Amino acid sequence: MVLVTLYPLLWVITISFSGGQSLALAALPPQPTKLDLVRAVIPWPQTLSAENYVSVFRDQPFARWLLNSVAISAATTVLGVFLACTAAYAFSRFRFPGRRTGMMSFLVSQMFPGTLMLIPLYIIIVQWLGLGSSRVGLVLVYATTAIPFCVWMLKGYFDTIPKELEEAAVMEGAGPARIFWTVVLPLARPAIAITALFSFMTAWNEFILAATFMDKEEMYTAPVGLRFFVGGFSQSWGYFAAGSVVVSIPVVFLFLYLQKYLVSGLTAGSVKG
Amino acid sequence: MNDPAPHAARFHAGLGAGLALALALAWAWLAAATAGGTEARERKDALAAAHALAAKVEAAGATEASAAGAVAAWQKAQRAGTVARVVLVDGARLAASTDPADAGETAAPRRLRLEEKALFDRAKRLRGIAEENAQGVQKTSEEDASRREDGSWQVAVPIRRAGAVVGAADVERPAAPPAASGGSGPGPGGRALAALLALALPLAAFAPARRLRGPWAPAAVAVALFAIGFGTFVAWASRATGGAGDGVSALSASAVAGLLALGVVGSGIAERGLRALSKNRVAYAYTLPAMVGMVVLVFFPFFYGIVLSFTGQTIFNVNEPLSDLWVGFTHYKDILGDLALVKRVEDGSLALNYGNFYWTLIFTVVWTVTNVAIGVSVGLVLALALNVKGLALRPVYRVLLILPWAMPNYITALIWKGMFHRQFGVVNYTLMLLGFEPISWFDGPFTSFLTALATNGWLSFPFMMVVSLGALQSIPADLYEAARVDGATRWQQFRSITLPSLKPALVPAIILSVVWTFNMFNIIFLVTAGEPGGATEILITQAYKYAFQQYRYGYAAAYSTVIFALLLTYGIFQNRVTRATEGI
Repeated sequence: MVLVTLYPLLWVITISFSGGQSLALAALPPQPTKLDLVRAVIPWPQTLSAENYVSVFRDQPFARWLLNSVAISAATTVLGVFLACTAAYAFSRFRFPGRRTGMMSFLVSQMFPGTLMLIPLYIIIVQWLGLGSSRVGLVLVYATTAIPFCVWMLKGYFDTIPKELEEAAVMEGAGPARIFWTVVLPLARPAIAITALFSFMTAWNEFILAATFMDKEEMYTAPVGLRFFVGGFSQSWGYFAAGSVVVSIPVVFLFLYLQKYLVSGLTAGSVKG
Repeated sequence: MNDPAPHAARFHAGLGAGLALALALAWAWLAAATAGGTEARERKDALAAAHALAAKVEAAGATEASAAGAVAAWQKAQRAGTVARVVLVDGARLAASTDPADAGETAAPRRLRLEEKALFDRAKRLRGIAEENAQGVQKTSEEDASRREDGSWQVAVPIRRAGAVVGAADVERPAAPPAASGGSGPGPGGRALAALLALALPLAAFAPARRLRGPWAPAAVAVALFAIGFGTFVAWASRATGGAGDGVSALSASAVAGLLALGVVGSGIAERGLRALSKNRVAYAYTLPAMVGMVVLVFFPFFYGIVLSFTGQTIFNVNEPLSDLWVGFTHYKDILGDLALVKRVEDGSLALNYGNFYWTLIFTVVWTVTNVAIGVSVGLVLALALNVKGLALRPVYRVLLILPWAMPNYITALIWKGMFHRQFGVVNYTLMLLGFEPISWFDGPFTSFLTALATNGWLSFPFMMVVSLGALQSIPADLYEAARVDGATRWQQFRSITLPSLKPALVPAIILSVVWTFNMFNIIFLVTAGEPGGATEILITQAYKYAFQQYRYGYAAAYSTVIFALLLTYGIFQNRVTRATEGI
């Protein structure tokens, strides 16, 4: 079972190191024997070469696409987490009319995927605001789709911070802003870090919104670029494989680190109701 | 009970504010409506004149010889100063003209001069549009109309001979002489009436405010009085503008706005709202940035999408206002009313209609159910396997088995697509190894479905596995001990200990998985792309196709709204079910 699980990953790694653009692991003669077929299925390249890794950066705009992804994901994270922090703090600490509605609306909006709103979003961002094929437009969209999730995670964490600390600060004469910045935020650092990493990962992995909004080739993010390699106009599986490995490595490690929070957050939250 | 004097003062202030607001709105709208109404009317009249001319010319045979006579007959019925020209595209000819300057040496019929290129271009453009409309589905307007600074209109309509456009009727119609009606807002009589209303209402409301109890009664009285007064105003205004439809509807809208404003202020909602706002300034300030973002980029697009679904907007008419493109429930009728699941093909046999909404819906449901079933069963089996005590290298296995979930799913989609390649894909190599024939995976709906199923199954079982493992590891071992001592078999232990303990963790996981799978855009889009011929589309990829490959924004918006309604129903249903099961 582990082999079946790992096979596609080994396949892509093999192609990335094969030095060619073909998606066949090994070339088959016209009348392949069983042995030939076995050879073609084993994930080991016929010629071992790191040429794809070099040329995907040198000959293709992949480096630019990667940078686009980094910039957009980072900006999304900063914007999203900042907006979510303040909102989560308010939801956690204050009682005000509209609190419940606000939280429910965040939750409800999570249930409906971005692709449902792709059309009006497209009209708004590209035609009304003229932000098509621009990083700013994509950052705005990503940040707003990230906010509900961040708010829920942060609010849950803020709820666990004891109020006595804030009350002590109030007694010492601190205003609400001071309390927020100097007392609460430093305590919430772990939760903020995790939320930030999740936001980064979501923006990094996002494909369809980027593909719809980014028309110009130099504005592609990494996912769109990778798809471009094997999209039908070109079949450069070598570049695709090398690029995929490069793009996936940070995400995989990040995910492995974060997955326990994700699962516990998801299931615990739903069970509590 | 409120102190009557301040209450009355606040009440009057509210009344005055509401009335002023409504009147200001009405004033502005009326001005715009009359100006707009006039403009719309002028445009219509100019185009009607051009059409009439075209009809006359066509009736006379649409030739140079006959054009002059037709034009002369037409000219008599026109407003003074109207200039008409009949332009023929072939040969760039001016067949007839009523321009006083076109006399003597430059009289029509003659070849168009260089300065008159605009005439030729307009006629040629209209011919092009007519030809496109004859071929395609999208209809562009076959009229050209533009308004000049001085209020005159320049319009052109095609002239046909034997079905084909041969030229254009070009009409310049001067602006209407300044009329006594309309103008820019109500005249002195109206203003006096408004002042009277402003005085009368507070006076009239003063008495009831004292006697009636509760915040609603005085507000209701005031609203009624306002409606009467404002209604009179509207009736007068619409008579004054000659019943321009736009004006009346705009006024009605402003009447509603005014009534709402009055109601809100008079009943105290506004006051309570403001008080709540200032009491919780800090909270609102903190939530404001996030809420603004959400409203602008999540809630507004959502409602705009719904509005869009009632229009026929496509990429060709994005610049037209939505009210022009209104089609009501047409899209919904087309989507939901299309029960043609099968259609007849050329050879007479029946074939499944893949574009049908219900087919896509059935397919999406099948897709979701099979995926979740596979994910849960594989995940559970693996979790049970990993839960065995003393398993060597368990953390290693755990990490390795999570990898499919960790990889970005668009990458795995493309990888699997490559592996299913007909000629060079390893899946077919493996089949050949086992002695089977290679399969053209994307040529048949069922095999295509299998590719997507394999891909999604591969990347969704880790989630289920992790959830199950977590739940399994929280089951105390003593339970199993006790059961074994009591003589229960492994299967009985599984059914009565393991499964119930798994339920609270698995149920939310399944619910989430259902929603994710239902909307799993990337896998379908990237692996099968709906091949063959749209057979493996799920609802959400189908909506995407309508929007970004056929550019039918309105239709796609309707499709998306239907999907949303389905998800909402599911959400409500699921909420009830989990609430019911939580009680167990």
